[in-house]
Amino acid sequence: MHNFLLEVFLKSKQYSVKVYETNIVDEDKFITFFEKYKLLFVDYLIVINGALPQKAREYLEANSIYYLVNVMLPRAKEHKVVIQALEDEKQQNQLEQQKAQEKLEELSHRLQNNLKVIDTLVRSGVELVVEQDLLLLGRLNSGATIRCSGNLIVTQVVEGSIYCEGNFMMLSASKKATIVFHGVQVDVSLLAEKLHRIEFENGKISIKPV
Amino acid sequence: MGKVIAVISGKGGVGKTTTTANIGLGIAMHKRKCVVVDFDIGQRNLDMILGLENRVVYDVVQVMDKEVSLKQALIKSKEQEHLYFLAASQTKDKSVLDSQKIKELIEELRNEFEFIILDAPAGIESGYEHTIEFCDAAIIVVNPEVSSIRDADRAIGILDSKSQKVKDGGEVEKYLIINRINVSMLQGGEMLKSEDILDILGINLLGKVPEDRGIIDASNRGKPIILNQKSEAGAAFNRIAARLCGEEIPLKDLENPSSGLLKKITGIFK
Repeated sequence: MHNFLLEVFLKSKQYSVKVYETNIVDEDKFITFFEKYKLLFVDYLIVINGALPQKAREYLEANSIYYLVNVMLPRAKEHKVVIQALEDEKQQNQLEQQKAQEKLEELSHRLQNNLKVIDTLVRSGVELVVEQDLLLLGRLNSGATIRCSGNLIVTQVVEGSIYCEGNFMMLSASKKATIVFHGVQVDVSLLAEKLHRIEFENGKISIKPV
Repeated sequence: MGKVIAVISGKGGVGKTTTTANIGLGIAMHKRKCVVVDFDIGQRNLDMILGLENRVVYDVVQVMDKEVSLKQALIKSKEQEHLYFLAASQTKDKSVLDSQKIKELIEELRNEFEFIILDAPAGIESGYEHTIEFCDAAIIVVNPEVSSIRDADRAIGILDSKSQKVKDGGEVEKYLIINRINVSMLQGGEMLKSEDILDILGINLLGKVPEDRGIIDASNRGKPIILNQKSEAGAAFNRIAARLCGEEIPLKDLENPSSGLLKKITGIFK
């Protein structure tokens, strides 16, 4: 025994290896994290506990990263660098979350100010395509068309055609009008006399006088 | 520098040519030098309404092609010294119209006349677009019925996008004449009311002209209705011409005529 060990000792090397042990819950997050801290893990052996998904496996292979799956290695003390990396990752996530929140606020702010206002009458033969909310203060004459992907409010009686894909419409219509809400033609006799609000309620189109 | 007014309608048969003839004559009767030009190339009929068909030798296309001078082609009315007339070509069609040539003709006419009235063709094709290209103002003639109003709306839309004045950042003055108003049909609710028409078209009213059977006879004889002292239509055209010359004439309420007394009398005899 002693000779064998000596034998092994003379022809072999002995050294410590740094290990980064993890389990992969979200392989995309894992890959993103790894990409960011690639340089940090240059000398590491990666140990994956649990399943190693295909994409992650391919990533590790492609980047010549040494890894083992589902092995119980004798543990040494946890390296401070790894902890630091994890802390940094936490902070980064927080920052990203903040950024996402800010972006969402900016978007809703923009939507509220993204109202197009038209106060001239729309003549026969004109087709308006509006990709935002629209407030029309003038008439929509017979033979004129509006295609609106946002919400729509028309203050004067509609005699032309309206195709709206927004959350709601508010208008009154003469019997000459063609009113289509999300591909469904609305009976214009229901929109006579005064402003009506048209929207989806429980999967059906609801029309209520304002 | 003269004012160029195009008489348009969109729909045909509403009374553009009759209006052009009568307004032109009316303006001349107010002692302003006026030329009426028939721009309905290939469908000459303004000459007939004015009673000048036997005097047409050269036409507007020949002037624009520089075959003849403007002086040679212009016809001066013998009855009304301030009225001049330029006939349309009867043999050619609208494809001969050229923007540059029209521009030069209009400039020449502006230098000579106070009022230049252009009779546009019906429809919204190239002939119409050429007529409105260099005008300062437009008179839109409608009948109080739905298809006329919708076609007029379309024609106005094109005017507001294709005329040179609009392209230069200005706006063409627009005036509405509601022609062939049948009073009894109006009162019976069978005709569109003026307020509704003005709502839809969104332009200023220049005048209203009642239906008058005498107009057919006037056309046949080549004596525009404005010359007929007894005609209500003629009187209406006279008021319109006066307004164009700058006079302030209140609009006559044709829709509620003062025939109340007459109705009561006939009632007694029934």
